[in-house]
Amino acid sequence: MSADIDAVLEVDTRVDLAGIALRNPVLAASGTFGYGSEFAPFLDLRKIGGFVAKSLTLEPRVGNPPPRIAEAASGLLNSISLENVGVEAFIHEKLPAIPEGVVVVTSAFETEIDRYAEVCRRLTGVPRIAGIEINASCPHVKSGGIEFGQDPQVLRQLVRSVRRATTLPLLVKLSPNVTSIAEMARVCEGEGADGLSLINAVQALEVDVERRRPVLANGLGGLSGPAIRPIALRMVWQAAEAVKIPICGIGGIDSAQDAVKFLLCGASAVQVGTRNYLNPSAAQEIAEGMQAWAKGRGITRLADLVGTLEMPRR
Amino acid sequence: MPAADPSAIRILAEVVANCCEGGAHHRLTLRVPGWPGFAPGQFVMLSPGPVGAVPRSDPLLPRPMAVFREHADERGPCLEVLYKRSGRGTHLLAAAVAGESIALVGPLGSGFRAPSAPGAALLVAGGTGIASVFELARTLADERAVSVLLGARRAEDLMGEADFAELHVNLEIATEDGSRGTRGLVTDLLEKRLAAEPGATVYACGPTPMMQRCVEIAAAHGAACSVSLENNMACGFGVCLGCAAPRTSGGFALVCCDGPVFDGRDIVWSQLP
Repeated sequence: MSADIDAVLEVDTRVDLAGIALRNPVLAASGTFGYGSEFAPFLDLRKIGGFVAKSLTLEPRVGNPPPRIAEAASGLLNSISLENVGVEAFIHEKLPAIPEGVVVVTSAFETEIDRYAEVCRRLTGVPRIAGIEINASCPHVKSGGIEFGQDPQVLRQLVRSVRRATTLPLLVKLSPNVTSIAEMARVCEGEGADGLSLINAVQALEVDVERRRPVLANGLGGLSGPAIRPIALRMVWQAAEAVKIPICGIGGIDSAQDAVKFLLCGASAVQVGTRNYLNPSAAQEIAEGMQAWAKGRGITRLADLVGTLEMPRR
Repeated sequence: MPAADPSAIRILAEVVANCCEGGAHHRLTLRVPGWPGFAPGQFVMLSPGPVGAVPRSDPLLPRPMAVFREHADERGPCLEVLYKRSGRGTHLLAAAVAGESIALVGPLGSGFRAPSAPGAALLVAGGTGIASVFELARTLADERAVSVLLGARRAEDLMGEADFAELHVNLEIATEDGSRGTRGLVTDLLEKRLAAEPGATVYACGPTPMMQRCVEIAAAHGAACSVSLENNMACGFGVCLGCAAPRTSGGFALVCCDGPVFDGRDIVWSQLP
């Protein structure tokens, strides 16, 4: 009898994110999950939707000098920079260490458009790679250091170029450091991006008053964690209003309820970020928590929640 | 590429006891089912304070804490952590009472390596760094002569002295104000010991200037010196990349999983934050 009720209330957690089939909508965010296998002691990688690996550049890169991180109110300020093993070492050393059956999305990060495209070309056709997320928050050298994702014309050129370079599902991870996220979302959709990920870290500064210096060696950093969650929800909602391509919501997700909020605002899937550092089992707990949350409310399909926020209309 | 200790676990540990030991010093005993044991010098990440109904967001980051020692009672493995109440995180930790849960990730880091030479071991520790070397002192004392040199500003800043006094080690203490042991710096004690025991291996954990001085003194005597570094970390297992320490050979080491124990010569001391 109770088994029948359980069967009736089974929650369908599957989602399609820009052509990537996920068993549930919870991925781990790029830069917070290493190359995946670091988390093997702490969770079952097959119990989460998948993960986005740390952003890759053409060559291995060394990061910034310390201090690289600082605690902020309900947040984490970081300036790690481009530190990564490089695209070839990822393909040949990191990817084989990831268990079969785990959805792996790669992230590309570069300083020039041609180099972004080359990273995408190298990743295309490699077995096991389910898609590419373009990290558009890198300073563009030719634009004087402004982020690629901050100038609609530069973002247009970037998405056009990487779209030509790969047939894989293509997500563009948007910078929140913009006036109109809707405009940036439309640019990506217009150039053939399959989906959007947002938001990346919010540009921020923390100050040591005694030394009269920034707390981070690099000066500015990116703020992540629960402090930015309401900003992220607002931007996901605005982007979802502006485009038809699917959205992966990111920003301070700590719990199943937080993840549901992003679905309501229009995200088809979510990425857990900073919380992975603090609780390396968090992504799995959130994925299982979403299922339990839905089950407790008689919701049979998580995808039915997407975009159902009742926003008052002016 | 570094990797976390594959035996590391993430668990809600039960507070068995959390006692003030005078001044700002506390001893936290946690029951940790499934604890795999640890190597001297390894650490755990502890969430700042008891686990609540929702994940804590402020303060956000867990705190790296050396494992002082471990034991087992009738209900399973327990570990002890000595800490100093100094900031918001450790104030919250001090508020945890028996029966509450604290999120723990560990054991983490690579720990101390046994001396490669047969001579004595000289362990130099200051401030909260004292907690990192207790298990090292205990294990090395089974096989060789061990001197433990503890330093603090004042007598009340010394932690764990009674525990060290129970070990089979030569224990020497220096305080800057002379309120306990020799008046002066613990590194002065090292100078004297090393002059008396050439061929000894030096281990150091404490404030950066103290460790840097230990490395210099050891080098002047041709002795090996391992140090255990501290740094800001968000994760403790090699993914946040926050705990970078500049390497003599170029680039950065991660304190959490390349260390926290390093050969003192491998670190660019002038570039540590």
